[in-house]
This record gives sequence, C-alpha cells and structure tokens, in this order.
Amino acid sequence: MRKMKKYLALFLALMMLVSVLAACGKEETPETPDTPNTPDTPSTPDTPDTPDTPDTPDTPDTPEGPEIQEFDPSLTYTYNTSVSQLPTGWNPHTYQTADDAVYFDYTTDSLYTLVFNDEIHPLEGREAFDGYVIIPSMAADFPVDVTESVKAAHPEFNIPDSATSGYAWSVKLRDDLKWDDGTPITAQDFVDSLERVLRPELLNYRAADYDHGTYSVVNAEKYSNAGNPVFTSFADMGTTYEDYIANGGTDAEVAVDMNGFWAVPGPDGQHDWGYITDDTMVRDPAVEDENGEEAYVSAKYLWDNYLGPNGGYAGSGYDLAYAGVISYPYEAGYSFDNVGLFVSGDNELTFVYNNALDGFYLMTYGMSTQYLVRTDLYDSCLQQTETAKGNVWSSTYGTSMDTSVSYGPYKVTEYQTDKVMHFSKNENWHGWTDDAFTYVDPEDGLRYRMYETTDVDIQYVKEANTRKQMFLAGQLMTYGLQSEDYDQYRNSEYYYATPAETVFFLLFNGYEDVINQREAAADFDATTTDLQVQMLESFRRACAVSIDRERMAAEVSPARQGGYAFVGNTYIYDPETCAYYRDTDQAKMALVDFYSIDLADYNNDLDAAVAAITGYDPVTAKEKFAEAYQEALDLGYVTDADNDGVSDQTVTMIYAMNGEMTDFYRKTLEFLNTSLNAAAEGTGFAGKISIEASAPLGNAWSDNIRNGLMDTQLAGWSGSTLDPFGMADTWTDAGQAYWGQWFDASEYDMTINLDGADVTMNVRDWALCLNGSMKTDSNGVEHNYGYGQTTVDNRLTILAEIEKFMLTAYNCVPILQDGSGSLLSQQVYYIVEEYNPMMGRGGIQYMKYNYDDAAWADYVASQGGTLQY
Amino acid sequence: MFKYALQRIFYMFCVFMIITLMCFILIRMLPLPVLPPEDPHTKVVEMRREALGYNEPYLVQFWLFLKNIVTDWNWGLSEKLYFGQDVWKIFIGKLPATMIVNLYSILWTIPVGIGLGVLAALKKNTWIDYFISTATMVVISVPSFVYAFLIQYLLCYKLQWFPFLMKGGTDYFSWAMFKSIVPPILSLSFGVIAGFTRTTRAELTEVLTSEFMLLARTKGLTKAQATVRHALRNCFVVIVPGIFGEFIGILGGSLIIEGIFAIPGVGGLTLNAINGLDYNIFMLSTCFYTAIGLAAGLVVDISYGFIDPRIRMGSKK
Repeated sequence: MRKMKKYLALFLALMMLVSVLAACGKEETPETPDTPNTPDTPSTPDTPDTPDTPDTPDTPDTPEGPEIQEFDPSLTYTYNTSVSQLPTGWNPHTYQTADDAVYFDYTTDSLYTLVFNDEIHPLEGREAFDGYVIIPSMAADFPVDVTESVKAAHPEFNIPDSATSGYAWSVKLRDDLKWDDGTPITAQDFVDSLERVLRPELLNYRAADYDHGTYSVVNAEKYSNAGNPVFTSFADMGTTYEDYIANGGTDAEVAVDMNGFWAVPGPDGQHDWGYITDDTMVRDPAVEDENGEEAYVSAKYLWDNYLGPNGGYAGSGYDLAYAGVISYPYEAGYSFDNVGLFVSGDNELTFVYNNALDGFYLMTYGMSTQYLVRTDLYDSCLQQTETAKGNVWSSTYGTSMDTSVSYGPYKVTEYQTDKVMHFSKNENWHGWTDDAFTYVDPEDGLRYRMYETTDVDIQYVKEANTRKQMFLAGQLMTYGLQSEDYDQYRNSEYYYATPAETVFFLLFNGYEDVINQREAAADFDATTTDLQVQMLESFRRACAVSIDRERMAAEVSPARQGGYAFVGNTYIYDPETCAYYRDTDQAKMALVDFYSIDLADYNNDLDAAVAAITGYDPVTAKEKFAEAYQEALDLGYVTDADNDGVSDQTVTMIYAMNGEMTDFYRKTLEFLNTSLNAAAEGTGFAGKISIEASAPLGNAWSDNIRNGLMDTQLAGWSGSTLDPFGMADTWTDAGQAYWGQWFDASEYDMTINLDGADVTMNVRDWALCLNGSMKTDSNGVEHNYGYGQTTVDNRLTILAEIEKFMLTAYNCVPILQDGSGSLLSQQVYYIVEEYNPMMGRGGIQYMKYNYDDAAWADYVASQGGTLQY
Repeated sequence: MFKYALQRIFYMFCVFMIITLMCFILIRMLPLPVLPPEDPHTKVVEMRREALGYNEPYLVQFWLFLKNIVTDWNWGLSEKLYFGQDVWKIFIGKLPATMIVNLYSILWTIPVGIGLGVLAALKKNTWIDYFISTATMVVISVPSFVYAFLIQYLLCYKLQWFPFLMKGGTDYFSWAMFKSIVPPILSLSFGVIAGFTRTTRAELTEVLTSEFMLLARTKGLTKAQATVRHALRNCFVVIVPGIFGEFIGILGGSLIIEGIFAIPGVGGLTLNAINGLDYNIFMLSTCFYTAIGLAAGLVVDISYGFIDPRIRMGSKK
C-alpha cells in the first residue's frame, strides 16, 4: 500500500513536470487562427414602413471590361473574425437574433443583389463606387411584369380590376443553381420553402416576415393564420359599440385590445385582447406593488371602467380604437395553392403581391427569399414535443453541420457550439464563375473577381481586451475600438469611422399630471427638490445650448459625433440613386433655420452654414436659464426664501437607466451635470441642476419615460436607412413617441408652401400624409404625399418642415450621432474608403488581401509577433 | 453504515425534489419579456408560449416535466438559447471542455498546494514559511479572473508562448489542445494552491506540536517518517473534504475564466438560462448540480470514517 502511494506520488510529480515542460515548449503557430470583430459585411436593410414603387432598372448588359485577373487557387485567404455570441441556430424560419443571422451573410444568396457601381456595372451620373446597382444573382434576368396575364388566369389572387402592372412578377431562375452538395435548386424549392415557413402549426417566428406588410405575397396571411381569430376595432370598422349592438351584434363578440390600451396581454396569454365578458385577471407589470391599485385588470374591468358606455373614456376615441369585435376571417385549412408564389414555367417563379411593387423595393424586399430551405432535410429535422397544452413543433434544422446546407459563396465546414464556426468556399456557388461578380479596382484599374476570401473563421471571443491583443498579434481582421483606445488609434491610417443611423436625444419630461403626483408623494422633499422646471421651454432651450456636443462625444463616447438633427446622416431618401436626406437643401435649411444661422454670414453657402453649426452657445444658455428661473419663480415651481437669488430647490431629472452604471453612463451624467451647471452659473439655477441615475430598469426604461415616472435618457430611434419619411410618423405618433402622453402633434397646425400654394394641416396629419394616408387640409382639400403621389422635392420639403417643427417643440434635443470606429488589419484593405449605408465598404465581397495566410504569418513573425497600428 | 447511507440517500432525494420544485416554480414566476405590440412577430411568440403551456398551472407543467424525464429521459428542448435543440445533448456536449480544464488544474494544484503547506509547516517561522504564507495571502486575495487577464497578457500576448484561446474541437488529449488550455489551467490554479497551502500549513503546524509526534520521534522514527505517517494523516481529515470539493468542482465551469479563454463549457449556462428564461436548460443544470452537490455531501461525510477510524457514521452513541 505504501509503495502504491509512492508510485502515485511519483506519477503526479511526473505529470506536473510534463505539464510544465509542455507549457514552455517551442512556440507554434496556433492551429486555429483566431479572430476579430464585426465584419464590414453590408447588412440586410430593414424593411421600410412605406410602400414605394420606383422604376424598374434596365435589363443589364452582359458585363464587359478588362480581362479578369484570376486569383491564385493555391493560396488561401482567411477572413478571421470574432463575435461575442456565436450563432446557436440558423434556421431561416425560426432565428430570432442578429447573432444567428451572421450565418446567412456567408451561406445564402438572393435573387438579386447589390454591387458597387463601376465600369462593369455603371450607374449613370455617378462616379465609380459612389453608389450601387442591382444585378441578378440567383435570378437569370430582371423580373417581368405579368400582372395582366396572372389577373386573367388566377382570380384566386384577387388582383384589383383596375391594376395593370406591379402586382405580379415572374422571375426566371438560373439553370446552374445548386446546394452545396451539388444537388440542383429548382423553382419548386422556393415554393415549398415558403409553404413551410408559413405552415400554421409550425408557429415559425419568421412567418411574420412574409405574411404581412407591404411586400407580402397574396394570401400568405390567410394561410399562416388559418383558423385564427382577429380583433378589429370599432374605429377600423367605422362604427361604434352602440351601432354594432343595434345592428344585431352581441356582447359576446365584443373585446378589448388589452395590450394596446393597457399594455397587458389578453387573458389567454395568446392574444392581445379579451372578451368584455371575461373577468379573468391579468397582472399589470407596470404596477410594482402586487397589492396596488389596478395591479390586476381584466377585459371586463377595462370595459366597465374605461372603454364601455359607462366608462371614463366613453366618447374619447379610445373606446373606438381599443374596443372592437372578434371575427374569424381566416378559413381553417386554407390551401397553400392560393398563396401568391407559384412555379410558372421551366425554372420560373411568379410572385403575386398584395400591393403594386417595382424597382429597388421589389427586387430587394419583395423578392427576398431567405426562407429557402432544403426541404427534405428540413422535414427530417422537425420534431414534436408534448407540452402541458398539447404538442408543439420544433426543428433542429440549422443547428449543426449535419443539419445545415448552403447555397451561397461559402459553406460551413466546422462548427462547435459557443466556440468556432468556419466557412470554406462553396464550389457549387454560381458566382465563382459568373463574370457579373467582378469589379474594376479603382486603384490599379484591373478587373478582379469578387470574394478573394477563401475561408471565413469566426471565433467566440468574449473580452474586448482579448480581441485587441489578438488583433495586434495579427490573428483578427478588425478590432472595434473601445473608448479608451481612441486617443491612441484615432489617427491611425488603419482607422475607419462608421456612422450609424441613430441620433440620440436628451429627453425632457413634460407629463405634468405625473410630475405633480410625484412631487405630492409623501417622501418627496419639495423644499429642496423640484421636478417641474424641466417642463418650461425656456429651461429646455437653455439646456439645449449648454451642451458642447462634439466635446461630449469626444469625452463620453469617442466613436460617436455631435448630433444636431432628428434625422441622422445615413438616411437615404432615394435608394435608386443612393441620395442622402441630409445632403438635400431642404434638410440643410431646416437646421439653418432652427439654429438661427444667418446665411449671409456664410455668403449664402448652405454647406458652410451647416458645417458651422455647433448647437453650443453658453451666452444664450445663461440668458435662457435666467428667463427660466424667473418663470419658475412666478409659477411657484421654485422658491427663494433666503433671497440670495438662487433657487432653494435643485431642479432634478431622473435618468432612466436601462442597465447597471457603466463607464458610459457615469461619464454621460458627469458631463451633462457639469455642462448644465456651468452654463447656469450666475443665474438662479447656479449649482442647482442635477441629473440623477435611477435604479436599473431593464427594458422598462422606455415605459417609465413615456409614463412620466422618469425624466430623461439619451435615447433615439434607428428607423430604416431607406425611409427617412417613416421617421416623421414615429415622432408624431402618440403610441410610439416618448412624449406621446403630453405632446399631441395633431394640436399644432403647420403651413407648408408646396408647388406655390400654401397647405395647412396639423402636424400629425402632415406626417401621415407623407407616409401615404389621404388627409384633408384646412380648406377641405384632400392630399396624399406618399411615395409616388407627389414630387420627391415636395416630400423632402414636408419632412424637413416636420423635422424643424419637432426640433422647436423641445420635447428633446439631439445630442449624439451614433457611430463606431474600428481598425482594419494590415493583411487586407478596402477598395472603398467612403462608407455607404447599403454597401458598407464592400464587406467580404470586395475585400482585398495584401498577404495570403502563409505570407501573413511570416510577416507577423518578422514584426516580432506584435503589429503597430 | 449501510443503513445510515440509505437514510441519507432518502433525505437527499426529498431535498432534491423540493429544490427542483422550488426552482421550477421560481423560474416561471419571473416575468417573460414584454413583447412590442407593433412587432408582427409578437403574435407568433405569444402563440408559441401558449402552445408550450406557459400559461398552464405550474403543477401541471411540473408533472409533465417529471413525467418526460422519468419515462423518456427527456429534459425538453431549448426555447431560447439553443432553439429547438435537446438540452440534455447540449449540456453533455459542453461538459467535457469544462471537465478537462478543471481536471488538469486539480491534478497539479493539489500536490503543489499540499506540498507547499507541508514545507511551510516544517519550516515554520523561517523565511521560507514567511514567504509562502505571505504569498498565499496575496494570491488568495486576488480573484482568478485577474490572473486570467495577466496570464493572457504576459504568456499569450507578450511572450507568445500559448494561444489566446482554447483550441477548437474535441481532441481533448492532443498536444495542441493541452498547450491551448495551459493559460486557463494556470488561472484556475493559483487560488486553489493557495487554499490548500494555507489549510495544510495550519493543520500540520498544529499536529506537529502534538504529543504523539514527540512519541513517534522518541520511538525512533525520522522526522520525515513521523510527518508522513502520523502528522499528515491527521491533517487529511480537514484536507480530504477540500479535495473532494475540488473533484466535484470539475463539473462546474467558471463563468469568467471560460469566457476569457473561450472554453465552450458549462460555465455560465445556468446564468444565461436565467437571463434568457430558457426554462429547460435552467432546470437541467439546476437538477444536475443539485444532485451532484447532495451526493458530494454524502460522499464527504462517509469518507470521514475511512480517513479517521475514530469517526463513526450513524452512531447514536
């Protein structure tokens, strides 16, 4: 026994020695090269809210140009990148996060795709690489309008009699489409895939992408919702409760939209509504105290107390908007044969839409076919699980290499959950030999194939520090800079700033009733604290000009820059020509007017005037704070009992925190407090302004802002890059805007001169009108300024006027324009320096390599293993 | 002893069921994320929640949960983190990476820790003891993730001796894999070594001054013989539970260390499941670690009797 112990001890000692020796062995190149951050791959654009119908582009010419420079097939070029969350499932019918969507960037294709304009793909009137064009990818050619013939042959699609174009389009597919194993992809695969994503019993998360909205195909909604009930408000029905009952309706059919009206789910947890006869109580999470008043509500309660004939909201309009009737318009067992996608010929698809579509939107959104799946594999991955409610379907499709299939440039060749995902060339992708997938390099004038990258390696790397070290060691292709990196790398020749859509506003609370309630609370000390002053416009204006936005960006969040408008820098109003809203004269004039810039000071140079805007004016700030102080005294918001000329109360705004206190929040609060108090120095608010952090609220922060329980946040909307007009709807919609409870845009009239005539409507109607609704002006004339309903110039004018109005309403002030900064590895370069919201800098499609993998390893070693940027 | 063990197993089962039920209900009491009403996907999510029985009484759901496990060893599918995938396969698939790192770690930390403790005790009040004791206090006061960052910076980035991350794949006993996990092993080890050193030194110092040690020396044993045969064995009553704890800890991953070195293990799985409200993953990991913890307690208790014959289990005297 003792000998055994000795041998055991000796063995352990040997193990330790071996371990140490192993650890100190000769350096080797890591087998798996590890990687960086967010690749600069252009993302799929969001679906804009507005239907648009641009013209169809001309049929493309066969690409011609210089001789194509082929890449040396013996060399490997690996794009090494990293993510902080690796995809865990990439079933195109069920994925829910952008993390999972990374897979699609490399392995899927589309009928039509965007490429930069150049000699091969010219765009009239634009410099090479200054815009983009659409080219067929999986499609053999551009779509053909077959509205007339489909209308005649397929009455089940209910194409309007008056329609002559735009509703039905046929697309011829390429003959050489293949899955990554070489099996052909046929037109029937597209149809079968759409059927599966919409199949009602599968409850696929992505069904909603295809069954409703502007770009949905006909009857998709009927198929995916077969047998489901639908709530229709009295407002939408054009009736009232009383009329409905008088016409034979019964209470048993009437329901309350509980989610819309009270922000609670319906009693069955499945629907937003509940019948007015149903007294099942539902917990209202907005009432923190479980025993508090209205912590539980039922549909019956809401009806009896608010929306019904004897309720407090009877006749308010809410009773029409949030009460209605349940009906069953979706026929159970509805056949997919009636859905508007079918095989119409030899490898030809025909799409039939609910709305007329054309051009850019047709080929990008309308013909999005990301639902394409390998149906035999898909069916084998379906599984049913018994639940307390019955059975529910799930699928393992797209969760491993065995259950994945590619039809794009790359295919997955290695996957380990939460560790690594590796892609290699999919030799069966048509683009490798298609001359349309070539470009002329703006630097050397030679013609190259796209996708020089042969492999893509995505590693899970959680810590930014690790990413940075790996990047500097040449193991990652990009590194997204952290705040502390900007001083060192901002001027690097490898630094790239990338603007983002969102403008962050500093919000103000104007919900007077709630503010007064908060001040009346027992634990509120009105002798030292004030919440009401923030409602004064003079105070808000003072705050607006107290903040040096560029300095704030530099100190608080260096990736961002100062924000001065409601619409950010990246919004494109005309996707056909890649024209930016902020570049228009209308948008520039809106800012010049709002910031009171005298054009004469800039020789009427609009660009120079806009460039001069800083939004920072401490002199005016002081004047406005003094004015606000006097106003606050007069209104009794604050007092000055000791007559020292300074408010007894500290004007306090609670910053609604959505998470724990981070460096960003700490710096933001510090900067804002310092700026506001510095500007208020010498006024009655000197040292008496305080923005204080709330407890972490999670996603509830926005509800707290909307309900007036919290006062401020740096918040914004990102909207859709291609639809700046839709933003106007958001700002003026009480249901969406942060200030919806105390600011009603329909109460403000605005006159705009269009085509030489003055038109007056309230601001909300202008926004609706701009987004396609028919509205009546003050003279009783109806207008619709939606896409295609008026000139682009008029639409830009309206949007600029609404933006200016919202700026002057001071519900918030724009502070920061979102953005990010990153370093690019010396191994590669972008052929386009300028960032394009639709194309990025070309992403992996256009990425060029200075070194192949082997040469890069040698180069890094020659630099001592650490690179200088 | 056998009766005692049976009794403990019965109690263990009762505790296990109570904890499981409590966790089952508590995780379901957490409010589900509020869905944006204007989002068209909301409808599908709500319908799926309903189909999954989330709105049924907790006990009905619990009964089905138990039934599926007992009759089919079916722990359910992930509804959030690994959508549609069998949670048992996910868990088991991630366990080896955690185990291998922890196993290598304890294989050298235990002997080194005990060895340093013995050395410090034997050299009590000399510079060696002072050095070891001071270093132990410093090391034990610093969290392991600090070592992780330091090790990654020094050994991986500056000296380039090791890769930054654990190697991908499942060749856990390959040379390349071993090399790639040296940094996390070192990161996990310092604190454990310090812990064993401190415990061993404290126990051994006390035992070495006992009268029976004097007797052992007077009957002719060398100092080494007396220390190994008598002193150390007495110390082990305290040390062995720690060793058991370490071995059990093999199955539990470190959220932070696994994150830093990209170890695809189970560390953080429970926390992520709570944050993501992935009920089935949470319940599986909870049940697994509850069972392991309870079993470990039993094993440790029984082990006392083997280490020290003076300790008798289940005795009513």
